[in-house]
Formats: sequence, structure tokens, C-alpha cells
Amino acid sequence: MKERAIELTVNGIALNITVPVHQTLLDTLREQLGFTDTKYGCGTGECGACSVIIDDQESLCSCMALASTLNGRSITTAAGLASNGLNAVQQAFIDQTAVQCGYCTPGMVVKSTSLLRKNPNPSEEEIRKELEGNICRCTGYDSIVKAVQQAAQSFPESDTQWDNAVELKAGANS
Amino acid sequence: MSSRILPNFDLLVPNSTSEAVNLLAHYQERAAILAGGTDLIVAMKMNYESEILISVSELDGLDYIDFDPNSGLHIGAKATVSQILDNADVKQHYPALWQAANVFATPQIRTAATLAGNVLRGSPAGDCSCALLALGARIVLQSTEGKREVAIEDFWTGYNQNARKPSELAIEIIVDAPQSATGSAFHRMTRVNEDLAKLNGSVRLDMDGNVCKSARIAMGCVGPTTLRLPKTEKLLQNEEITPELLAHVADMVPTEISPIDDKRSTAEYRLMVSGVVIKRLIEQAATAAN
Ligand SMILES: Cc1cc2nc3c(=O)[nH]c(=O)nc-3n(C[C@H](O)[C@H](O)[C@H](O)COP(=O)(O)OP(=O)(O)OC[C@H]3O[C@@H](n4cnc5c(N)ncnc54)[C@H](O)[C@@H]3O)c2cc1C
Ligand code: FES
Ligand code: FES
Repeated sequence: MKERAIELTVNGIALNITVPVHQTLLDTLREQLGFTDTKYGCGTGECGACSVIIDDQESLCSCMALASTLNGRSITTAAGLASNGLNAVQQAFIDQTAVQCGYCTPGMVVKSTSLLRKNPNPSEEEIRKELEGNICRCTGYDSIVKAVQQAAQSFPESDTQWDNAVELKAGANS
Repeated sequence: MSSRILPNFDLLVPNSTSEAVNLLAHYQERAAILAGGTDLIVAMKMNYESEILISVSELDGLDYIDFDPNSGLHIGAKATVSQILDNADVKQHYPALWQAANVFATPQIRTAATLAGNVLRGSPAGDCSCALLALGARIVLQSTEGKREVAIEDFWTGYNQNARKPSELAIEIIVDAPQSATGSAFHRMTRVNEDLAKLNGSVRLDMDGNVCKSARIAMGCVGPTTLRLPKTEKLLQNEEITPELLAHVADMVPTEISPIDDKRSTAEYRLMVSGVVIKRLIEQAATAAN
């Protein structure tokens, strides 16, 4: 087949879409669905600008994944983390001025949220290791690490935050 | 070539292993298997084309990692490097594999990359592949004709060449159960963490007190495939591990490898550090065993 009909949940909304089989998830998000918050950097898995969360926890490079092989999966982009007001990571990036040009920021926010969902109490070393796949040309990383440390104080995310996310998804699925 | 747009192909998404091997039997060389895509998609963005891709994404039940003290470790072909890293049995019983997963690529890549893909790609710089060679892993291949098991050292037959037939699907990787005093370790050298290795190595020792009963030693980035170092292994067999023995080992290692100059390092440097890397890995594996 050259095109495939798939079910994909994006930012809590269950979608039935048809995608060209050779389209990357990055292009599905940006070109087909309009989620331009997910950025294109290198296209080969090196920079992390295209990072998304898959199935609520793990991070993935959307430039390397084919949407056509993600049938039934759930994808969250930086915009999806803000569907109920900014999440703690996004607020912390503002508070710590962890943004300069901003190109890496959606990927950083997504990756940091994924990190804190898996490990709500990371050491500085763990934060730096987990963010290895996200390149920032501007900040020098220290402010980003501080932002993740600030956000960690709000993790694990409160039950209401998770419930909201899950309800939003359940509503969208029905 | 484009880092953004992939060449055209036909995608097939079988639901079961039997459906997948039927497709492979029919299409043979015309089809390539797509797992996490972290090698294949990059290759397709560079220059590689395949008329047909067969995705493993919806194959039932191949994402397991099962450990049994008798039959060892069984890793399904869809299990990812990230799953290896999260697995307590791997961490406890197969430290070399866990350590390789721990330095492997970035979290985003580990979510997608499969262990089977790493072995099938067979890069001489493959990290989990290097640990699996030292641990003595076997790969299980299935076709419509049946299943066969191939020891990993017989599987890689040359640079970018392996023993898989076009009709075969890799379904599992098996690593024997450790004995009562088995220890293993992995190390790689890189310029910065997220680089591919300029050199990697892994050691598995079966010990009896301070005496090494048998050793398996693997080194990568020093030949067309990841290599075993049989002469060095033999030096250790039934010997007590002493500083003098380790000095012999460090001298022997460079005689068994044939590194080249490339963008990550030079042959000269690789020859110089190889002995020390293996010496330290032996010390680490011996400590892990006892
Ligand atoms: C940014 C980046 C960093 C990386 N860093 C590292 C690193 O630090 N260390 C390292 O070792 N590697 C690294 N890699 C390489 C890569 O991630 C690994 O080799 C990975 O394990 C490949 O697995 P995959 O599932 O993505 O395979 P794919 O790309 O899907 O496939 C790889 C090959 O295996 C074949 N194949 C896959 N599954 C099967 C099967 N079941 N049966 C038969 N054939 C099969 C495919 O046809 C293809 O030829 C990196 C890659 C990138 C992009
Ligand atoms: S665009 Fe995906 S990692 Fe750079
Ligand atoms: S803020 Fe510019 S790349 Fe990170």
C-alpha cells in the first residue's frame, strides 16, 4: 500500500486519518495536522527538536518514525501539554529564562516532561543525561537544567492534571 | 537525498509472524524489514531504497524480555533498547548488556531502536551487539521452512554482511543463563557521550574464586565486524587473574585487531588504548562475578 488509514491520538484527540506510508510523523504533525510546535532540525535523530511523547511517557524522534506504523498509538506535542494551561515544565522554562531563540524549546519541554513522568526526582546528572538527545545552540543548558529542577517540585503531576489529560482523551475517543 | 523526504515504497504491516514470513517468502530481496527505523530510515534519507518495507509494528507478541535461571534470557525481536535499560533481570544477570544500553544513543532513539535491529544492522560500532557477542548470544531466524538458531559470531560474515537469508525474519535473541560465578562488563570510548563509539569492548568471565575458568572477549570499531579475541581469551583460561597476567593480556589485544583511520579515530590510537580497555573490563567483570 502507498497510503494507510490509521487511528492516531494526537494531544488527546483520537483521529482517523489517512497518511502516505512514507510520511514521517513529523510531517504528519506539521503539514497534515498543523501542529507546527514540533520542529524540524536535523531529520536524522541527532538534535531532538522533533521530540514528542508516545503513549504518555516515553519520548520519540518524530523525524525518524513513520506515522503509518503508529496505528493505535498516542502522541503528545508541546502544544498538547498546554491544553489545560501551561504545564509545570513550560512555566519553569519561562521563570528560569531557559529560552533564547526558542527553536529547541518544544522538544526540550516535551523531553523534560517525559523525564519527570518517569523519574519525578532526578539528580542534576540524570537531567543532563536524559537531555543528551536535545541540542540547544543558545542557552548553554544551565538555565534548562534549572528549569527542570524547578518543575520537578510539581512532579509527580497531581491526579487532577492526569485525570484531565485522561478525560480529555476519553471524551475524544467516544 | 533529503533528510526530510523519504523515497517511495510499498508498506506491508503483517499481524503475525506466520503472515510476515509468508510475505518474505514471496518478496525475498524485494522487501526490507522495518523495526525501529533508526538505521533504516536514516539510510533511506541518505541513499538506500527498497521497493517494499515490511513493518514489524503490529506483529503480535514479540516485545518480551523474559529471564529464566535455566533457559537464560529471551529477547523478542521487537524489544527496544529502552526496555533493556528498564529490565531488572538484565541489570542483575547481564551487566554488560545493561551497560551497553545505558550509553546507547539518546533516550528518544532508545525508545524506537530494537536490540534485534542492532544485531541485524551489524555495525562494527554496535554497542549492544558488542555486549551480546561477549555474552555468547544466539539469534533465532524464522522462515516458512522453519526456525534456526545462529551463534552471533557466525552471524556477522563481513562488513554489512550477515547470515540471514532474504526469506528469514529474526524473531528472538537468546543469551544463556549465567553460571554461579559469571561476571560481565562493557565499555565504550566516545568524544562526547551521544557519539557512536570510536572503540568499544565487552568481557564475560566464568570465575572460580580468582581463577578464570573461561573468558569471552569482544571488541568493536577495530575490524569489519565486531571481533572476538580468541588468543587473549586463551591467555586467561584456567589462570589466576594477577597483575602480571593482565599485563600480558594488554600486550596481546592489539595483535588481534585491525583498526583503520576514520572520522571517529585513528588506527594508531585504537591500537594504543585497546589493551588497557580490555584489562580494565576484565577487572570489572571479575569483580562482578564474585
Ligand atoms: C542519532 C542516533 C544515534 C545512535 N547511537 C547508537 C549508539 O550509540 N550505539 C549503537 O549501537 N547504535 C546507535 N545507533 C544505531 C541504531 O539506533 C541501532 O543500530 C538500532 O539498534 C537499530 O534498531 P532499529 O530497530 O531501529 O532497526 P531498523 O533501522 O528498523 O533496522 C536495522 C536493520 O535491521 C533489519 N531488521 C530489523 N529487525 C529485523 C527483524 N526482526 N528481522 C530481520 N531483519 C530485521 C532491518 O531490515 C535493517 O536492515 C544510533 C542511531 C541514531 C539515528
Ligand atoms: S529533527 Fe528529529 S532529531 Fe533532529
Ligand atoms: S534556545 Fe535557541 S536553540 Fe535552544
